[in-house]
Amino acid sequence: MTVGLAASPAFAQSMKLCRAKPELLELGAPLPVARKALAERKQLRIIALGSSSTSGYGASNPAFAYPTQLRIGLEKALPGVDIEVINRGIGGQDVEEMAARMRTEMQHNPASLVIWQTGTNAAIRQMPLDKFDKTLRGGLALGKSLGADFVLMNLQYVPAVVAAPDKEAYEKVMAAAAKEYAAGLFRRYDIMQSWYEDGMPYAQFVQLDGLHLNDFGQKCIGKLLTRSILSALTGP
Amino acid sequence: MAGTSVRDIRLDLFRGLALWFIFLDHIPTNIVSWLTVRNYGFSDATEIFVFISGYTAVIAYSRMMEQEGWTRAAARIYRRVWQLYVAHILLFVAFSAQIAWVSIARDTPALIEEMELLGLGQNPYRAILEAALLKFRPVNLDVLPLYIVLLAAFPLVLPLVIRWPFAVIAASVGLYAATCHYNWNLPAYPDEKVWYFNPMAWQVVFHVGAACAVLGPKLVWLDRFRGLLTTLAIAFILFAAFISLSWHYNPLERLVPHWVGRLIYPIDKTNIDVLRFLHFLAVAWLVRLAVPIDAPSLRWPIWQPLRRCGEASLLIFCIGTFLALSGQVIVGYYEDSILSQIVVSIGGIAIMCLAAYLAAWSKGGGPSASARRRPLAEAYK
Repeated sequence: MTVGLAASPAFAQSMKLCRAKPELLELGAPLPVARKALAERKQLRIIALGSSSTSGYGASNPAFAYPTQLRIGLEKALPGVDIEVINRGIGGQDVEEMAARMRTEMQHNPASLVIWQTGTNAAIRQMPLDKFDKTLRGGLALGKSLGADFVLMNLQYVPAVVAAPDKEAYEKVMAAAAKEYAAGLFRRYDIMQSWYEDGMPYAQFVQLDGLHLNDFGQKCIGKLLTRSILSALTGP
Repeated sequence: MAGTSVRDIRLDLFRGLALWFIFLDHIPTNIVSWLTVRNYGFSDATEIFVFISGYTAVIAYSRMMEQEGWTRAAARIYRRVWQLYVAHILLFVAFSAQIAWVSIARDTPALIEEMELLGLGQNPYRAILEAALLKFRPVNLDVLPLYIVLLAAFPLVLPLVIRWPFAVIAASVGLYAATCHYNWNLPAYPDEKVWYFNPMAWQVVFHVGAACAVLGPKLVWLDRFRGLLTTLAIAFILFAAFISLSWHYNPLERLVPHWVGRLIYPIDKTNIDVLRFLHFLAVAWLVRLAVPIDAPSLRWPIWQPLRRCGEASLLIFCIGTFLALSGQVIVGYYEDSILSQIVVSIGGIAIMCLAAYLAAWSKGGGPSASARRRPLAEAYK
């Protein structure tokens, strides 16, 4: 057995193509609650709130979904820290259902950081923008009041979303809401778009349904998110 | 299938092909999967497998119902359901054991972690209970539960489809449409999950297959529109191939207008998107024209391995699913090298064929088996 393989998962898959420009990985928020938990209690509890890309729909192993990748990556980077990532992804949902369960989720699992993955289903189903905006802000306000940091994970750059007429508008709403509530923004849409524009075909990162991420896509987003969160937690 | 005078070899052959495809496609990084249907259109081997399963269910049990009554046929169907269930549970255990073995043998904490991630580690007792209820199905173990549910409902469907095939098609399409519209599905484990292959949607493939078996020769009626249907089928298959290939080549992808994308995406698998089903029907139509039931080419010896695999479909499905996981581990170990993908693919199919021949050989002794095999045996004299 080679040394290089020992660290890689059982189901290795070439991650050479998994990359993003550093500026795309900046969350733009300092995550004070999570930092404090890390410094004072050596503890980091994270809720991953989202839809099918959080739950890991269609991956050949649920471990490839970003919440588990995040936990594995953080444990490696922060030895001695008690890390937990609770996967609360429910396929097919979007901002309304998630905002509605926000309170219960956070009471069941008190966390210092919530990653809220949303927008993809809203864009595909053409949820009215003002409603999307209002519900998202309502959810953020509620979540913040319950004492956690937030990172919003925006849309996927996949055929089903790219075909939607005003997907960028949903993106903008999310960016503005993140700024207003001092939440981080993980720019999944821009990262994936840069893959596509660098010549990576959809088949490399999207399942054949044109919507969900495949093994590579899920793992790569998980690794990049880990990098983003780590640099936000340990940066200046 | 027992009891029919003329065995439709196409069923075995194409079911064998579907089983090979399922194996190849279940190895996530596999260059050989370029040989499978899924890269050239919307539908894949699942549709072939489910359609043929519906078709053969009618062939296997309709005569029995005619001769020995409904109760007897229903009992036989349930005997088969039980076999499927046992096979599924066995496969579940073997699959989990293989993962455990890989994790332990490689002795890396990260690996044991991944093993947990199949959902067993967090709450093993609950997971085993849910597995027995078919609600917990680790990756790639979704097809047999679908088949079990469809066959479990078949005693009710069988008398209806024999008398009123068109009514059954209509009811089946109605249930499919309602399922998609109201987003019905069966619950799975962990709690918010649902069935990856939604039985209430996928039943449409099974029941259309069953109705086609009942209609059989009457399908000739469709030949009145042969020109039109063939043109439509070819046009649709070309369109689907263009879209599918565009996922691999960005310059092609840029040619797909946004309004087309809006219309077709997402091409859902859980609820079998109508595009997938239409694509399968288009392919099936062309296959029906190209390969008639009595085509001499069907009996060519080179197809024999496929036919053998199709005849022992349950066994070969289980072996293929198990081997796909082994293949995944081996290909991963060799860092996705193309050579490892090719070797694993060929090796896996060779093992599947060997098992199929052994199964045929071991059945060969009994009187019922030899009666069943006679038409095949004659072909090779």
